[in-house]
Amino acid sequence: MNAPTQPPKWATRLLHWFCASHLADDLEGDLLELFAQRVRTYGIREARRRYVRDVLSLMRPFAVKEKRKKYPQPAFIQPAMIRNYFKLAFRNLAKHKMFSIINVLGLSAGMTACFLIALYVHFELTYDAFNQKADRIYRIAADIKTSSETLRYAISPWAMASNMQNDFPEVEAFVRVQKEETLIRKGDLKFIEENTVLVDSTLFRVFDLKLLKGNPKTALAAPLSLVLTETAARKYFGDADPIGQTLLLGDDNEPAQVTGVMQDPPANSQIKGDIFVSMSTYTAHQDKNIEREWGSFGAIAYVLVKPGTAPGAMEKKFPAFVQNHAGKMMAGQQMQISLSLEPLRDIYLHSTRPADESGSVDNLYIFSAVALFIMVIACINFVNLTTARSVERAREVGMRKAVGAPKSALARQFITESVLMCMIAFVLSMAVAAALLPFFNALAGKQVSKGIIDEIFFVAAGLVVAALVGTMAGIYPAFVLSSFEPVKVLKGRFTTSIKGIMLRKGLVTVQFAISIVMIIATIVVYTQLDFMRSHDLGFTKDQMLVVQAGTGRNRDAFKASILNFAGVRSAAASAAIPGSWTPQAYSKVENSGGEMQAGNLDVYRVDFDFIRQYGLKVVAGRAFSRAYSTDSIQSLMINEAAAKVLGYRSAGEAVGKKFEQWGRKGVIIGVVRDFHFKSLQENIKPLTFRITDFWNGNLLSVKIDGGRVNQTVSAIENQWKKANPDKPFTYYFLDEFYDRQYRADERFEALFLNFAALAIFISCLGLLGLASYSTVQRTKEIGVRKVMGASAASIVGLLSKDFLQLVGIAFVIAAPLSWFAMHRWLEGFAYKTDIRAWIFVAAGLLSTFVALATISFQSIRAALMNPVKSLRSE
Amino acid sequence: MKGTYLGEFEEVVLLAVAILAGDAYGASITNEIEQQMGRSVNLGAVHAALHRLEEKGLLSSRLGGATAERGGRSKRFFTVTMAGTKALDNIREIRNRMWSAIPKPA
Repeated sequence: MNAPTQPPKWATRLLHWFCASHLADDLEGDLLELFAQRVRTYGIREARRRYVRDVLSLMRPFAVKEKRKKYPQPAFIQPAMIRNYFKLAFRNLAKHKMFSIINVLGLSAGMTACFLIALYVHFELTYDAFNQKADRIYRIAADIKTSSETLRYAISPWAMASNMQNDFPEVEAFVRVQKEETLIRKGDLKFIEENTVLVDSTLFRVFDLKLLKGNPKTALAAPLSLVLTETAARKYFGDADPIGQTLLLGDDNEPAQVTGVMQDPPANSQIKGDIFVSMSTYTAHQDKNIEREWGSFGAIAYVLVKPGTAPGAMEKKFPAFVQNHAGKMMAGQQMQISLSLEPLRDIYLHSTRPADESGSVDNLYIFSAVALFIMVIACINFVNLTTARSVERAREVGMRKAVGAPKSALARQFITESVLMCMIAFVLSMAVAAALLPFFNALAGKQVSKGIIDEIFFVAAGLVVAALVGTMAGIYPAFVLSSFEPVKVLKGRFTTSIKGIMLRKGLVTVQFAISIVMIIATIVVYTQLDFMRSHDLGFTKDQMLVVQAGTGRNRDAFKASILNFAGVRSAAASAAIPGSWTPQAYSKVENSGGEMQAGNLDVYRVDFDFIRQYGLKVVAGRAFSRAYSTDSIQSLMINEAAAKVLGYRSAGEAVGKKFEQWGRKGVIIGVVRDFHFKSLQENIKPLTFRITDFWNGNLLSVKIDGGRVNQTVSAIENQWKKANPDKPFTYYFLDEFYDRQYRADERFEALFLNFAALAIFISCLGLLGLASYSTVQRTKEIGVRKVMGASAASIVGLLSKDFLQLVGIAFVIAAPLSWFAMHRWLEGFAYKTDIRAWIFVAAGLLSTFVALATISFQSIRAALMNPVKSLRSE
Repeated sequence: MKGTYLGEFEEVVLLAVAILAGDAYGASITNEIEQQMGRSVNLGAVHAALHRLEEKGLLSSRLGGATAERGGRSKRFFTVTMAGTKALDNIREIRNRMWSAIPKPA
């Protein structure tokens, strides 16, 4: 009946919640007493109301504040305890040097790898990001569709950009960029500058490249003006002011004036070069009609659109725009040009169009995964080693608990220790990373970072990550260690739980699985590269020297003059060599149906000796010959791939068929067996050969004797200097030049090799730690076994068996995973090796061997120990 | 030094502790003030004042006996210290002096 004679419970609970513990008791007493009195005087309702009011009125600072305790309670942060934690942490590090070294080494190796990879990934992801207007800059890409194929160009018709600015109100500015090789002279200094760039005057308006000297608006306006990078300026003018100076440009020695000096573009910029030449030098000076040409492709065009422009809407207007300007030309040449916009930031990583340099998102994913794996392996080590050592710490935990340490304080202690360990590892890894950066730059093939000083942000981030890793890795051991029951551990009846052992074994398995995946990946990458290097390319590439020898009569004279050198076997001139860029010509060739099939075909312009010197096999018809006067203008040779595209079932059918190409008309005289004139990543494309014109074919391939390479090269060089005193002697070897195409893959290989080795190394450190731990655990067992007559070999076997099982399981997990991953990687190659069974066998054996060797350090020692000693221990 | 100034409510609480002489604790003080002044008082206000007076050294406290009515919770007994008595005397003296200084109506 008298249900609510009690004060409201929630108010009481509220009181206990906010009120300091030492006051709550007597305050609640007062409240209850007053409540009882008021129930009598005013009735229950009023009493309850007043009770609530009193509780609320007690929410004052004095009631909330805790009293200083006479006996200090362990607070969250107790300087003395923290000091004690650190002291013990250091003592433990020093006491177990082996463990500490293994732990710190593993961690810092992992951190270093992660740090470097993070730098690299960041570098690649922020390509072109320094441009503040990057989100408004697009590259205009052109697709050219002919009856036989679609060509995907990064370059666009010369006439396109300026017309686009006129026709599209959305376009704020455009800039065309064309990289070229140019001969630059200043007095006696002469260089073939590979990175000369023709650019429109709007360069500095569109891109955030910094002009240090000169006027950004006008520097590149007039024909024959130059902007040098700081580096180039120093190269030509030293410390003198280059503004207003003159450099001689090109083979014609045209005087050009330096009108500006710019900061070197960032390493991750698409617009790169040493010398920037005004575009008008070409369009208004050298080739005045080019600006009106829709059929001539060159220069990469970037447009800066006005803020708020939708690229999709703009692209929709392109077909009409192209039709309007170039409709007639396209109809005449049986082709269709279509344009599209590529956002600047996407070009480097995502565009598949040809480019000087391009990144690969897949590689970034792979690298990130590798970094993550290595970090995981290192963390697993850490967790394993720390928990494995828990037995040794059990007594300490017991003591601490017995004198009153709460679980949370112990957890904090162990986390402090692991964070400390991580910090030590971090400092070490930063030192190593700083030392490795130059090598890493070389490995990556680009200036990923100038030095660790420039990466303060990354170092700071790394510190945070290290602290985080320390905490994460420390949580499990801290949890395990702090939950020991003091009575049990102090009595010495301590056994590691089955669960803990299972977890450690599971973690070791994961480590080894990752390592085996990486070993297999490395072997597959290696075999693929080896396959590509040793694959029959269909032409001779050894002992072939390539000289940039100019064109026309000069070259022919030079060729003739070196032919009688002792070391020179033969020489041939051409405009392209295997591995080099090849132009494409609009060609019409009679196909099997008797029609003139139009298409853009790769062109090799060669002289009469080329086919023979390169060892190309003529499978039908004949090679070019001086004996036929018509060969130099009316003959074409094709490769088998071209014959197939034209629909001929056998190469012989193509011989004698008609062709039209670049102003020449005539017949096909021969078919050459397919050879790899591009890298093995690509299929062999249709190719045509024609005899050089007088203005091209500047590459002179010289076949030399293997025995006297150096003498022959210097003899050729001397001859060059005699004949062309004003031009530098530039040469390279064909095999190196050709293999340059695989540089990215070789880097990939080197990277994988390094990181796989690292992964194995860290895993082995972990295994070593665990093995030594488990041997110590079983000291007595081993002693008893030996007394009973077990041989040393059987004990080694006993100790190794467990771990080898883990490696076996790891292999079973890793093999299919790596097969799948590498199968996908190989799909990027047109010509690829198979993933053979021996690779898996090798990886399995290698990891087993490494694991066995690691364990044997401990197990053999344990097996050879005198049983008397081990039985007496304790 | 703080503690020389007494607020009005503090003075009332201090007086109540003095009146209750030895039986002064939160609830009894609250009751006493309510009776003397004829208005309801919040327990929180009383305790806040007690806390301040103790900090100023005018009161001292000790934990003492419990009753069933209090649910077995102990009482905190307050007593006026020497300084507290002095402070009360002082106030009274000032008041008296001021009263006597009021000019008598002629």
